[in-house]
Amino acid sequence: MAESALTRPGQRDRYQNKFVQIDWMLCLMMSLIAGMGGLVLYSVGGMSWEPWAYDHIFRYGLFFVIMIGLSMVNLSVWLSLSYWIYGASLLLLIAVELFGKVKMGAQRWLDIGITDIQPSEFMKLAIVLALARWYHENSAKDANWSWKLLVPIFMIMMPFTLVAHQPDLGTAMLILITGVAVMIAAGLNWKAIATAVGAGVVAIPFVFTFVLHDYQAKRITTFLDPESDPSGSGYHILQSKIAMGSGGLLGKGLGLGSQSQLNFLPEKHTDFIMAAVSEELGFVGGASVFLLYGLVIFMALRIAMLSHSHFGRLAVAGTIATFAVYVLINGAMVMGLAPVVGVPMPLLSYGGSVMLTVMVAFGLVQGVKVHRYQELPRQNSIFARFE
Amino acid sequence: MAETSIIFSDVNERQGVFSRRVFLMGGVVAFGLFALTGRLAQLQLIEGGKYRRLSSANQFNYRLIPPPRGQILDRNGVVIAGNRPSFSVLVMRSQVKDIDETLDQIAYVLPQTLLRRRAILRDINQSRRFAPTAIATDLNWEDFAKVNLYASTIPGVDVSMDEVRVYHYGGAFSHVIGYVGKISDKDLKAETEAAGDEEQLDPILLHPGFRIGKQGIEKAFDKDLRGVAGARKIEVNATGNIIAEDSDGMRPATPGEDVTLTLDAEIQQRALEVFGEDSGGAVLMNIHTGEVLCMMSAPSFDPNLFVSGISSKAYGLLRDYERLPLLDKCIGSTFAPGSTFKVATALALLQAGVDPSERVVCSGSYRYGNTTFACHKRGGHGPQNVHDAIKNSCDVYFYHMCNRPGAGPDGIARTARALGMGHIFENFEISGQKKGTIPDREYKRTAFKNDPKWHLGETLSVAIGQGYVTTSALQLCTYIARIANGKKAVEPYLVKKIGSVEKVPFKDFKDLPFSREHLDIVRAGMVAVSNDVTGTAYRNSRLNLGNIEMAGKTGTAQVRSYKGVANRRNEGIPWKLRDHGLFVAFAPADAPKYAIAVIVQHGMGGSMFAAPKAREIMKLALIKDPEMQARIIQPMPIDPSLANAPDQELTSDAPPDTIDIPTPPANPQP
Repeated sequence: MAESALTRPGQRDRYQNKFVQIDWMLCLMMSLIAGMGGLVLYSVGGMSWEPWAYDHIFRYGLFFVIMIGLSMVNLSVWLSLSYWIYGASLLLLIAVELFGKVKMGAQRWLDIGITDIQPSEFMKLAIVLALARWYHENSAKDANWSWKLLVPIFMIMMPFTLVAHQPDLGTAMLILITGVAVMIAAGLNWKAIATAVGAGVVAIPFVFTFVLHDYQAKRITTFLDPESDPSGSGYHILQSKIAMGSGGLLGKGLGLGSQSQLNFLPEKHTDFIMAAVSEELGFVGGASVFLLYGLVIFMALRIAMLSHSHFGRLAVAGTIATFAVYVLINGAMVMGLAPVVGVPMPLLSYGGSVMLTVMVAFGLVQGVKVHRYQELPRQNSIFARFE
Repeated sequence: MAETSIIFSDVNERQGVFSRRVFLMGGVVAFGLFALTGRLAQLQLIEGGKYRRLSSANQFNYRLIPPPRGQILDRNGVVIAGNRPSFSVLVMRSQVKDIDETLDQIAYVLPQTLLRRRAILRDINQSRRFAPTAIATDLNWEDFAKVNLYASTIPGVDVSMDEVRVYHYGGAFSHVIGYVGKISDKDLKAETEAAGDEEQLDPILLHPGFRIGKQGIEKAFDKDLRGVAGARKIEVNATGNIIAEDSDGMRPATPGEDVTLTLDAEIQQRALEVFGEDSGGAVLMNIHTGEVLCMMSAPSFDPNLFVSGISSKAYGLLRDYERLPLLDKCIGSTFAPGSTFKVATALALLQAGVDPSERVVCSGSYRYGNTTFACHKRGGHGPQNVHDAIKNSCDVYFYHMCNRPGAGPDGIARTARALGMGHIFENFEISGQKKGTIPDREYKRTAFKNDPKWHLGETLSVAIGQGYVTTSALQLCTYIARIANGKKAVEPYLVKKIGSVEKVPFKDFKDLPFSREHLDIVRAGMVAVSNDVTGTAYRNSRLNLGNIEMAGKTGTAQVRSYKGVANRRNEGIPWKLRDHGLFVAFAPADAPKYAIAVIVQHGMGGSMFAAPKAREIMKLALIKDPEMQARIIQPMPIDPSLANAPDQELTSDAPPDTIDIPTPPANPQP
């Protein structure tokens, strides 16, 4: 049953109708990526479902169901919960700061009894929701020079500072980029963007000397000249490039990549999985993965354009911006175009919490698709009374 | 409602802005993905070859298998230089992340490496990037087993079982066969130049266990002895642990070729023994073929010391010892031949037309111009013909005759050169030969710018092998070999076989320009030296081997000036000032086969000190020769024809180059 803006609202709320409205093509593309991930994890696990491939596929399946479930959630619910989610995530970040567990030199995890959680992951989504709501409830001119610019900046800087202090510069940067992406999508004027970029450039040397930890600064310097120290810190980038380059057009074949099978490739199942894909499946495999990511991103951006509510538009744009940033940074990193930062390839890399975040985010995206005709009221702005 | 319209326009405006921004975002993402795909294409398609090489360099490692060095054998196949197993621990610098930690781990098993830590680190830092460094060598079996068990868990550490050179005869052959040593930067440079460039360099040269020939035969035949390194292709993982060995990539080492020498280990050993503390050299050769059976320089040194690297202290002691053990006194140093030269002078005189029966009366001295030249016998020898002059080594005869027309410096020099003196044997295998000097007018002109004219008085010194005349022991031996041979200018050589290939020596010896008559006269003189009761070496050069006699010539070359010296005796004066003792000989006298030259540096008299040594060495050579054995161990009863054969004198109708061998009976009885 074709749905249109003229379909009666009551009919649209039926679950079977909503289910049909899910963007199944997008689901297919995501599943192809996740399936490719499973395949390569099977290979780098020594042609075995253990320890990674099985978990990866299982998680994807589980989270896929959650995604479908979330896509049924009415946008008004997301809207009304957005500040609460943001607030809760912020509190968790503060909790991490106070009682967090230290693993590998960083205080990122919070022990909640069953498992350790990483609240910075929630924040990636929460910041999108909070900013989307803020811009939903404010007029276009609020996105330009005005005191109201301070609120979103504040909303971004609080989690950014907390996460950067853990220290988890990669995630902090992602939160910052996501936030800025939402602001830009909401119509932040170019003067403000230019000012921010200028300030950022000026700040780089100060950040480098006073803010960054030694190991973070070193990552950036070795990125600039990775071959200077092949067995030191440039090792990862060089080995990754060797893995990819030696793959050639068609790759060495599954399970036959010497770089990934013999552990020359570091973090082959997480951050550097793209190198394993390219080594074993060649340029054809690597380019296909990029193509799939491109399709996912464009389908999601189309959903953003379709949405009748500004909240929906911004939520999808922000979510997809995060997703795209993940893909671009990880891709650039494994090919030696960006410093090594702990950014996995979404859906492809092994890792539960990132997968969960991504699938919840896509639940929101699918939700916007399903509820694209839903109009959301703007009057519940807490600042409306000041106007 | 005004507000509504504002809201609507606001809604439209922000939707418009959003759409534009989303297009922009899409553009940025598309650009980013295109860029990444482009980069992927660059890495995989354009630079793919480079990374494939790097990848297989990661994955596969070639471990060199050093080839066993060829052995050096004596003429009878006795191993002179062989190999023995040696266990060592190697570190591959390129595979080690933290060298200190790795050395700590090794020191846990091999505490002795702790003491050498500094030297090891220096070696490691100096080694080339992909060359392993030996950190402990010559381990005993227990240590080796321990390290072998443990090393596989330490990345970059490898144990190897190599072969190390061992010289079974210690010092007896150290000058001839030389020794091997660690490859020096100079060697490496030379090898690199020979190979063209560094890429072409045989990687075995960089292997820490590899040794290169430094001297003598080891150096001259290094390429043959070296062999070809093999390689094991192994697959390693990122931590350097061996995953698998690729048997297809296994290339076994090709052992070096064995080099068989003409030398005889027993004779060589005997020569070293008879020299004892004395300094000098002995050369014994076959007069027909030029095979050198013995070439020994004393005192010697243990070449095994050089294999693993001699300590500078030990080297200093060898270098500074006044008897110069490091010098090869057979070819590398020259001496005045003294009276041993008189055979050549006599031959030159005969060639110049001196009547062999012409007598010169020796009164003990000879006055030439304002100078009195003394004979070694103060009282004089009385009337002497050329035979007597050789037998008695009468100086006056040669003083008197040497400037005869046709002789003189140029005549003597021509003869001496034809006999092998004054030049280097081009085909002799080992390097280090000294040319020596055979003076003539031309020599005087070029060497003495201030006094280019030849004074006839100088011929007198030359005639008795003094003055400017210097020769090496090898030249002296060749000279006697040619005298004994009579027909061909034999040249010495050392190497019989390389691998299984018989080395064909230079067969086409030049003819000697001497008449048989003249040769017979000088040979008869030499026979008399050893066998005539009045001969200068009668007491010291009798072989005592039945009818086999030696024919020799003594020589005593003065080192200091006798001017103003009342006592010419050598006893009690410093070693360095004593006369050199020389003795040259061939044997058997009737049908020569071997020639020998012995120089005892500062050995005082040739008869007293050099002849007995020559006799012992020659005796062994003869005893070992099956042809000679047949002559010595004569069956009973003695064949009447042999019993009547003249054996005391060399008769002119017995050609010296044909050997009359009595056919041994079918059943020899002891």
